[in-house]
Amino acid sequence: MIEVIDLVKSFRATGRRRREPAEADRGDLIFAADGVSFTCAPGRVFSLLGPNGAGKTTILRVIATLMRPTSGTVRVAGFDTVSRARQARASLGFLTGSTRLYDRLTPNELVRYYADLHGMEPHRFREGRDAIFDLLGMEEFADRRIGRLSSGMKQRVSIARTVIHDPAVVVFDEPTTGLDVLTSRSIIELVRRCRSEGKTVIFSTHVMSEVSLICDDLAILHRGRLLYLGTFGDFTAGLGGAPLEEGFIRTLREAVE
Amino acid sequence: MSTSSIVFRKELKDTLRDRRTLITMILFPLLLFPVMMSLSSSFIVSHEVEALARTLRIGVLQGGGASGFASLAGGEEGVEVVPVADAEEGRNLVLADSLDALVAFEEGFDSTVAALGSTGVLVYMKETEDRRIEAGRVLELLDLYDEELREERFRTLGLDPSVCFVLSVETVNLATTQERLADVVGGILPYMFVIFCFMGSMYPAIDLAAGEKERGTLETLLSSPVDRMQILVGKFGVVVLTGISSALVSLLGLYAGIRYASAVPQEFVDMVMSILEPSAILLLFSLLLPLTVFFAALLLSISFLARSFKEAQSYIGPLFPVIIIPAFIGLMPGMRLTAGTALVPILNVSLATRAIIAGKVPAGAMALVYASLAVYAAAALVLCSRIFGRERAIFR
Repeated sequence: MIEVIDLVKSFRATGRRRREPAEADRGDLIFAADGVSFTCAPGRVFSLLGPNGAGKTTILRVIATLMRPTSGTVRVAGFDTVSRARQARASLGFLTGSTRLYDRLTPNELVRYYADLHGMEPHRFREGRDAIFDLLGMEEFADRRIGRLSSGMKQRVSIARTVIHDPAVVVFDEPTTGLDVLTSRSIIELVRRCRSEGKTVIFSTHVMSEVSLICDDLAILHRGRLLYLGTFGDFTAGLGGAPLEEGFIRTLREAVE
Repeated sequence: MSTSSIVFRKELKDTLRDRRTLITMILFPLLLFPVMMSLSSSFIVSHEVEALARTLRIGVLQGGGASGFASLAGGEEGVEVVPVADAEEGRNLVLADSLDALVAFEEGFDSTVAALGSTGVLVYMKETEDRRIEAGRVLELLDLYDEELREERFRTLGLDPSVCFVLSVETVNLATTQERLADVVGGILPYMFVIFCFMGSMYPAIDLAAGEKERGTLETLLSSPVDRMQILVGKFGVVVLTGISSALVSLLGLYAGIRYASAVPQEFVDMVMSILEPSAILLLFSLLLPLTVFFAALLLSISFLARSFKEAQSYIGPLFPVIIIPAFIGLMPGMRLTAGTALVPILNVSLATRAIIAGKVPAGAMALVYASLAVYAAAALVLCSRIFGRERAIFR
């Protein structure tokens, strides 16, 4: 479960943004999240959809305890991300599209490192590792340096790293950025598998086709504010047969006007 | 296993697999001393051999006689005497490197000598460092000629030439080898150690902070259930270890260079061997450790502020002179460890190391050195942990 209640996250503008503030800025403050509330339920995929700069990454970083909210409350698996950040992180798997790996380690070493950081018992680690490596077909390159692997192989290592500790909540921040169709598909499959295992999944993207593939609940974010929050089914039903992209653009336009 | 040690072990493994780090941390400091010593000693030896064997062309301006000099010099092996008629012409020949020296005797030389007077001789030559040996050979010839003239004069007067020597001065140097070489070697060695501590820490600090930010792996690391301080301690431990190892490896290189490079003066060998005593090494590293902690915290702080490996490099590059200048000032003759210099970071380590090498460790000033190093290291650590705790630094 992820609970986001009245989340506000602002930054002080610097450099050019300070000289030329955007429309939504207040003074020299940029609001990446401006009173955002939503809940992600276990066994469902929550998609955070929004154009670049909407505030998706910031919200996910707050959920992952990497940033502190300016105000509001965020709870991950029941743990407050500020006062009980460590417990929140222990329940969390975090995968972003921009994240690379340690090129000089092998997949075995890397996955072991994250398992150790999560304090996994050796027998639990072995079982988990064998199951994941088997599922993703990683054994053949498990002892090769990551720097020498193909991007598809690297992505599989990233997935293994994200779920090795069997987290209750998984955060995906634009995880398919820059990936080819086949590798993107492996991420989509991972998201589906997490859902079927009863995990809470939050998934940010600006790619419509991905949303229609996996989304249960949808939030459309623009300039730090939610423009839509509801089930994906309700959103598409309201489109009257129009493509999802059309509905997304219409929602953004209505907000601007 | 504690979380910091998990991070430490991983970062160490990662660092030791990085070719760049290995080159700056191990290969360079290990090879620098042996290569420098064997190259410089072979250059010095070959230069000496060449300078001694070369035929000297000495122009002689016999204004008023002094024909004895030309025949004396001409009789020496490896000397060619060129009679010169005009001082201006002779000087030009020296300037054009056609002559090694012009020896110009004063007008009326022979008559002044015959009248038991004292007369002069002007020697024109280019006295540069690499002509030092040739200049010495010319002056030696003049000394010989002077001696010849003096003996002749004494004979004429019916005296024994030894009557003019009243005081026979002989010095016995009681300074130990350590004391004699402390200023030279004692200045250079700490300078090298300080630089290696810095260089050894540099690449790991950049890679483990800015490199990790650039790769985006820092975000995943920070989303694991580990306190930031534990991550920092693990990373910091690796940076300190590489810095100290780098200095240690350079010491090994120095030892190997001394042992196996030929033509190293025996005094120098004795000197370095006396430094390599366990107690001196321990004392040396007890100074380098807090200094490396200071460097590591400073480098990690800068590196965490940078967005990428390259940006960190461009911030850290200008730091080099800042590190080198105080270390270099420590090389200057006359610089001593005092209550004032003991408080200047880097310079204090440089001077304290010099004092250790000279075998004279002033207890009060040393205590000040340790205390100030501890304060600087602690301040840098606090700065580093503050920066690492700041969202704006991590997500720049």
